[in-house]
Amino acid sequence: MLDFIRDPSIYNLVRGPFVWIAFLVFIGMSVYKVRRLYLMAKNEKVVLPSIKIGAAGRSILHWIFPFGSRNWRLKWPVTITTFVFHIGLIFTPIFLLSHNILWYESWGISWWSMPEKVADIMTLLVIVTSVIFFMRRIFAPEVRFVTSSNDLLILAISFFPFLTGFLAYHSLLLPYKAMLILHILFGEAMLIAIPFTRLAHMFYFFMTRAFMGSQAAGWGGKDW
Amino acid sequence: MAAKEKIVSREFPEYIRDPNPDVGLDESIKDLKPEQIEKTIMAVLGAQTARIRAVMETCIHCGLCAGACQWYLSSDKDPTFAPVAKMKMTAWEMLKRKGKVDAEFIKQSARIVFTECNICHRCSMYCPYGLDITFIIGLVRRICFMLGVVPQRMMDQDHSHATTLNQVWYTQNDWVDTMQWQEEEVGAEFKDLRIPIDKEGAEVIWYPLGGEPKTNTYHIERTAKIMMVAGVDWTVAGRDTWDTSNMPMFLRDFTTMNRVVRGLYDNAARLRVKKMVLTE
Repeated sequence: MLDFIRDPSIYNLVRGPFVWIAFLVFIGMSVYKVRRLYLMAKNEKVVLPSIKIGAAGRSILHWIFPFGSRNWRLKWPVTITTFVFHIGLIFTPIFLLSHNILWYESWGISWWSMPEKVADIMTLLVIVTSVIFFMRRIFAPEVRFVTSSNDLLILAISFFPFLTGFLAYHSLLLPYKAMLILHILFGEAMLIAIPFTRLAHMFYFFMTRAFMGSQAAGWGGKDW
Repeated sequence: MAAKEKIVSREFPEYIRDPNPDVGLDESIKDLKPEQIEKTIMAVLGAQTARIRAVMETCIHCGLCAGACQWYLSSDKDPTFAPVAKMKMTAWEMLKRKGKVDAEFIKQSARIVFTECNICHRCSMYCPYGLDITFIIGLVRRICFMLGVVPQRMMDQDHSHATTLNQVWYTQNDWVDTMQWQEEEVGAEFKDLRIPIDKEGAEVIWYPLGGEPKTNTYHIERTAKIMMVAGVDWTVAGRDTWDTSNMPMFLRDFTTMNRVVRGLYDNAARLRVKKMVLTE
């Protein structure tokens, strides 16, 4: 099994066509899903006319920054966990030196990359906060009651690329090449899963917030 | 004292409640047919609309809405009172089973959405995504209403609105008579006080809540005194569309709800008033 995973042809596969598939599905399906929700909102007649750009923007801004809203302040341990998790989840893959090198080799593009040490710490933080989220799903009664198997699945989907990436970087558990291939596979799986699962909240966040921010403004209040 | 008997949900063993007998829930489920339930659920919740899909496809089950709910906070943080739990136990389960639920499940849903949620929208203010949880609860209320499974008192108020356009079974005669009677009553204190009925071109039209002419008539005379002292050019509606307590809204009875609101605006347009003033 290990020899199979380390096989160079497997590497070429996950490094070549699979990357294309993952990015095309991710981008294509995400555009489709956002467009679909927008069109449904348009059909519903009452949704789009209620949108107030200013209120929507303020609502998004208050919720996208830590402690910007009342609930972020009340539930500060969750706030810290979720912001550390999401910042690591989004920025580490984009500004990782090794990823930049891959893009440069493939497409000739690259941008600023963060120091390796920082990336390492952020990856570790994503792993730790994932575990905290998992514990919260099990031990917080109000969360446990509504936790289903696919909640654990989407947590796993975002957890394993970081775990395998961390283990590969430090050559732990499995030989570097084998762990790297697993890492790439998990990463591609995550990209594909985003538009198909509730990980789509990555885009829907802005749309649902815009709606509720506008609703609250319509009632003469605010939703943060 | 013997231990009180508790009701435990079949689907959700954590949902344990004291018995709460209500004719509107206990009797009305007896005639429900499975295909009727399925058809109603799919007609209301199965629709591919943005407000339903946005909640279904975004909610990450984080439980952060719990802290917003007065039911949750005042029930020792029982997880089955959290807003997200109420969605899980009603709308999500209905959709998961594609509407194939039995009458007992509808009764349990009705108890949750009518008697354990005040549709106050506070959970949306606490949700990181601002999801319209109340909207989903409202749709479940609509399903229960369309199936006739509604707490008796709420259903009675809805029937009253559907019949008389007010909450208290008042006829138009009762209403006009009450206004004139109150004008007479205050006459002993203020001889010039008038309660103008259907005065065209008045500045303000005042709408009471159903209970005011029925049981708290002194509200009427006090409002009249305030209007007189403040020198407001005011009037009340002469037609039977005068009650602003829109109880059908709480059942999501869209037809009656629409008639109530339309009646209030029709009066204002007919009498060419500038402002509508409501009690509340």
